[in-house]
Amino acid sequence: MKTDVFPRVVFTLFGIPVRDTVVSTWAMMALVVIVVVVLGRRRPMALEMLVDFLNDTITEVMGRPAAPYLPVLGSLAIFIAVANIIGVIPFLISPTRDINTPLALALVVFFSVHYFGICAKGLWGYLKDLASPIFTLPLEMISQLSRTMSLTLRLFGNIISAELLVAVLFALVPLFVPLPLVGFSMLTGVLQAYIFTALAAVYIAAGLGASSRDLTSSRKGS
Amino acid sequence: MANMDPGVLVTIVTIVVGAIAIVLGTAIPALVEGKAVVKALEGITRQPEAAGHLRTTLLISMALLESTAIYVLLVVLVLIFANPLLDRFLGR
Repeated sequence: MKTDVFPRVVFTLFGIPVRDTVVSTWAMMALVVIVVVVLGRRRPMALEMLVDFLNDTITEVMGRPAAPYLPVLGSLAIFIAVANIIGVIPFLISPTRDINTPLALALVVFFSVHYFGICAKGLWGYLKDLASPIFTLPLEMISQLSRTMSLTLRLFGNIISAELLVAVLFALVPLFVPLPLVGFSMLTGVLQAYIFTALAAVYIAAGLGASSRDLTSSRKGS
Repeated sequence: MANMDPGVLVTIVTIVVGAIAIVLGTAIPALVEGKAVVKALEGITRQPEAAGHLRTTLLISMALLESTAIYVLLVVLVLIFANPLLDRFLGR
């Protein structure tokens, strides 16, 4: 059971061990690209509906127009949602089962918070807002680090707990009893993708320095 | 008890502590999340037009509350599957 759930090294590439989750990530990326290309040829409306849905959700969470942040946040949402539910396909496993994948995604969020903050307020203004009374600077640093850690561990913990539960139940009662739990784990995966994206949007909005005037004016405008 | 193999003792203590930790660490966040849901439902029944905004806030805050339970789960998983103390006592 331990070898079923936790990632293992399949081969080494130039001395770097490559885990099976990485191989699964490559398969997932190819699958997403193929689906998007085929949908773009046959049913462009479906892609537009997806982008509209992501745009509306992120706008509602951030309380400001989401257009500049839609590429990074929408990519995060699609990547995590597909990565969480791709484990139900045989011979593929969820890339988020390995803690390095959520850590990489959380680091993307960490750096994009600072990038968008510096883009919005300039380097000096951003640093000044980070330490507006100077004694909050250590607290701010701790909160930046702990939110990255909590994003990582939340995604990883949810996925690994669902996978462990399914693995234990498959060992106890084969095939029919764990099936509802597999469906439940898919639901959890999509919900975790939503939560990760919403939290990233909240963190980026906080880094931009959302004032209450911005919130009310953008809500009236929408 | 005194002449017990230290590996066995560490294993027993690990299992008992893991069980206690997972019970406390899931029951308390579940109670607090229930409180949050009750408050949000009261708000929605009082002001149904604010339901969308309340739902977003509720989901985000529940994710933040849930993370404490996830930390406990991960600590217990590390204790059971990758216990560092057990390796030391077994001399591996």
